[in-house]
Amino acid sequence: MIVPSIEAVATPKCLMKKIVLALVGVSLAVPAAYAASVVNRDEETHTLTVTEGGDQTRITVAKDETIQFCQSGCFVTMPNGDREVLTGSETIEIEQGRGRIR
Amino acid sequence: MLVGHYLAKQGIRFIVQTEADRKIVGVLALLQQFFIAAFILLAPLHAFAQGDIIGQQQQAIEKVDEAIDALADVVASEAVDDAALVDARLELEKLSRDLLESGVKFRPRLSEINDRLDQLGPARGEGEPPEPEVVVQERQRLLDEKATINAMIGEAETLSVRIGRLVDDVAQKRRELFTNALSRRFDISAAFGPEVAEEFSSDIKRLYGTVSSWLNYVTQVKLRAALLAAGASLLCALALLIGGRRYFGDFITPDIDVEEPSYLARLTVALSSTLLPSAALALFLSLTYFLFHAFGVLPDEIAQLLRALFIVIATVFFVYRLTSAALAPRMPSWRLLPIECGASSRLCWLVAAMAGVTAFDYFMGRVYSVIGSQLSLTVATSLGATVAVGVLLILIGMVRPFPPKEEGEKPRPWPVSFRLLIFLVGIATILAALFGYIGFARFLSQQVVVTGAILATMYIGFLTSGAIGGEGAFARSRTGRLMAERLGLDEGVMDQLGLVAALGINILVVLIGAPMILLQWGFHLADLTTWTYGIANEIRIGSISFSIIGILTGIVVLVLGYFITRWFQAWLDGSVMARSRMDTGVRNSIRTAIGYVGVAIAALIGISAAGIDLSNLALVAGALSLGIGFGLQNIVSNFVSGLILLVERPFKAGDWIVAGAVSGTVKKISVRATEIETFQRQTVILPNSELINAAVGNWTHKNSLGRLEIPVGVAYGSDVRRVHGILMDIARSHPLVLKNPEPFVHFANFGDSSLDFEVRVYLADILRQLEVQNDIRFAIVEAFDKEGIEIPFPQRDLHLRSGFAAASDLQAKSPEQQVPDEKGEG
Repeated sequence: MIVPSIEAVATPKCLMKKIVLALVGVSLAVPAAYAASVVNRDEETHTLTVTEGGDQTRITVAKDETIQFCQSGCFVTMPNGDREVLTGSETIEIEQGRGRIR
Repeated sequence: MLVGHYLAKQGIRFIVQTEADRKIVGVLALLQQFFIAAFILLAPLHAFAQGDIIGQQQQAIEKVDEAIDALADVVASEAVDDAALVDARLELEKLSRDLLESGVKFRPRLSEINDRLDQLGPARGEGEPPEPEVVVQERQRLLDEKATINAMIGEAETLSVRIGRLVDDVAQKRRELFTNALSRRFDISAAFGPEVAEEFSSDIKRLYGTVSSWLNYVTQVKLRAALLAAGASLLCALALLIGGRRYFGDFITPDIDVEEPSYLARLTVALSSTLLPSAALALFLSLTYFLFHAFGVLPDEIAQLLRALFIVIATVFFVYRLTSAALAPRMPSWRLLPIECGASSRLCWLVAAMAGVTAFDYFMGRVYSVIGSQLSLTVATSLGATVAVGVLLILIGMVRPFPPKEEGEKPRPWPVSFRLLIFLVGIATILAALFGYIGFARFLSQQVVVTGAILATMYIGFLTSGAIGGEGAFARSRTGRLMAERLGLDEGVMDQLGLVAALGINILVVLIGAPMILLQWGFHLADLTTWTYGIANEIRIGSISFSIIGILTGIVVLVLGYFITRWFQAWLDGSVMARSRMDTGVRNSIRTAIGYVGVAIAALIGISAAGIDLSNLALVAGALSLGIGFGLQNIVSNFVSGLILLVERPFKAGDWIVAGAVSGTVKKISVRATEIETFQRQTVILPNSELINAAVGNWTHKNSLGRLEIPVGVAYGSDVRRVHGILMDIARSHPLVLKNPEPFVHFANFGDSSLDFEVRVYLADILRQLEVQNDIRFAIVEAFDKEGIEIPFPQRDLHLRSGFAAASDLQAKSPEQQVPDEKGEG
């Protein structure tokens, strides 16, 4: 019983099946980064205004907090009044009220 | 500029050095001028490009604003219909994307401005020394530009909010339209007025007038185009008819000779004889419409009428094919349901009548709207049609289709739930029509016919897939038998293929049927595509989101990469390496290594194509590595050992190795273990780490040269020189024994019972040692026989020390003990 199973591991067809299965598993397990994220590097809490799909929301980011938002493009107003347009894959770092896109 | 200066300086030095370099200097001077000119030319261009972004985006945003205004008007207007609203929503979504795109285009300029502002630093306050005027001006200019950009993004943001509201409006309006259409109550008394008949006849005359004037116009002005279109569509029909009969005829027409067709065969024939002809007809009709349209023969009114007519024809045909396929009134053995003959033909008629009435109502509705008839006429037609459909439904419910359980009884009716459903729908249609809810009644009757037909087809599809998935069903089917014959597949494979086919059919049925039903319910293609797009691109579960398309792309890329790798391997192995006469072991190593590298690269590309951030993967790998360190230690160590074996190649496939107790030929070096076949043909799978960590003997490492020893003993008293000579001769005379290193006869020992010799010969191919051993041993025995040299048995001389007493004493004590001694003496 043992020998055939070991042989089966070695055949390319089985190997491929395993690789495909493993890949599917990995792709389901690993969250794909699609949303934009913002991280606050300042001491105080900041508030951003986000307009996405016609809805305006305000998100509050505490010190050293990272928040995911904006899945498919949005307008953001930074704490210092700068406006930016995001496509939904950026990472923003807030430093001294200014948002920098990384 | 700097480059130019440098070159100029060099140039001056050249002049000082030698006159002959004048030419080079000229070229250098030219270059310098070119650099200066380029700088002067490019600087303003750059500045122009910056200014241009704002201008361009301003225009783009203004354009979006105008488009939104126009769409808002469309949405707000009274006469807007559902299709226009769907289009408006699509347009709005596109505008929203455009806005985002324009906004993103500011990003590089914004970051440039921010960087420059950082370099300039904050404005100096009171009491500090004043800044140079240039700096103040530049800062102001940058701040102004930034403010402009911010204002424009703000404008875009406002517009996007407005788009969001409009999208909500569109959804709201569509809901209202739908409920209005269904809940609007008409005054049906108008339908019974005396003027309705007059209106009807006058409208029919108008319709006749419209059509005949069109025909006149066509025959007089557009005759050639019309003939061309008609000819082309006839050709299409001919091609479809002949091609369809030729290639699919077997699937469509049931074989009358078959006495008892299998369930799967009945289902397949029903499904294909419904779908294929309907698809062919739909294709033909749309082609015809397209041709007439393309040749410019159709004015708008006629086009609408023709479209409605074609839709009606296709639908009725589909329903007719479906019922006659499922009920098979003339061929009881091909019937899907166990229904009596009379009932089946009655049902066929009833369903056909229902489809016909609904189709008539739909078509007349179109006609009325095209020629602008009175509302009362529409109400009258629809009232009649929907009531008729309701009555037909009730009649269908009253049919007793199933044969009686015992002779002499009445046939059995439909199952209660089905009967109840049909009665309910029928009565609801009639009541709705009679109370004036004509819209609702029409909706119901159309749903019953079309959705019912689609659902029935889907149900047959599901049944077919279930039948195909049954054990051995696919192998017994005609296609299955053909495939098994052509491709030489065995039963297990066929069974798996059957399952795959069943799954495929299920998916296909849902993929085709579900959108058709949704379309039937008033959704638009645009809705469906938007949903599919959304589902395919992003599925969110909590904070995790992934895209189906991405994952599928990744898998496809991986599979492609895998096959490309295999192909490359085969090509390299078969064409390049085989021609360079490389050693098979090396070839094997290279092939395996390329296989690993290729699959790894394909996996990486696949993962990134799937949209998975590789840094995420690194994170997971980091977290897993501890677990791997403990749990998969052995596997990993074997894997790494396998790689070392491939690179270092202490042995290769085909080598004869001895590892511990295992001795045999290496068959294959895999990731985890190495396959060794012993000479008894037992396959031993040895983990790679054992081959790396312990000593491995390889008989055929660099070459297959090896030494063979054959010990032989001769009796004491033989002529040892003669023996040496004979053995030497035998060794030398064997064709497989190498002349260099020379064979050697070793006088090894004065043994217990013999003088021990050892024949040591070198063979070019150690794998042939058994053959050589045999030959030499035969030769030795023959030669010794001839020369009278004895090969002794082990001998022992026994000396008895004293006389009889001692001997008899011994015998009395243990008579058995002496037996071996006596034997030994013999």
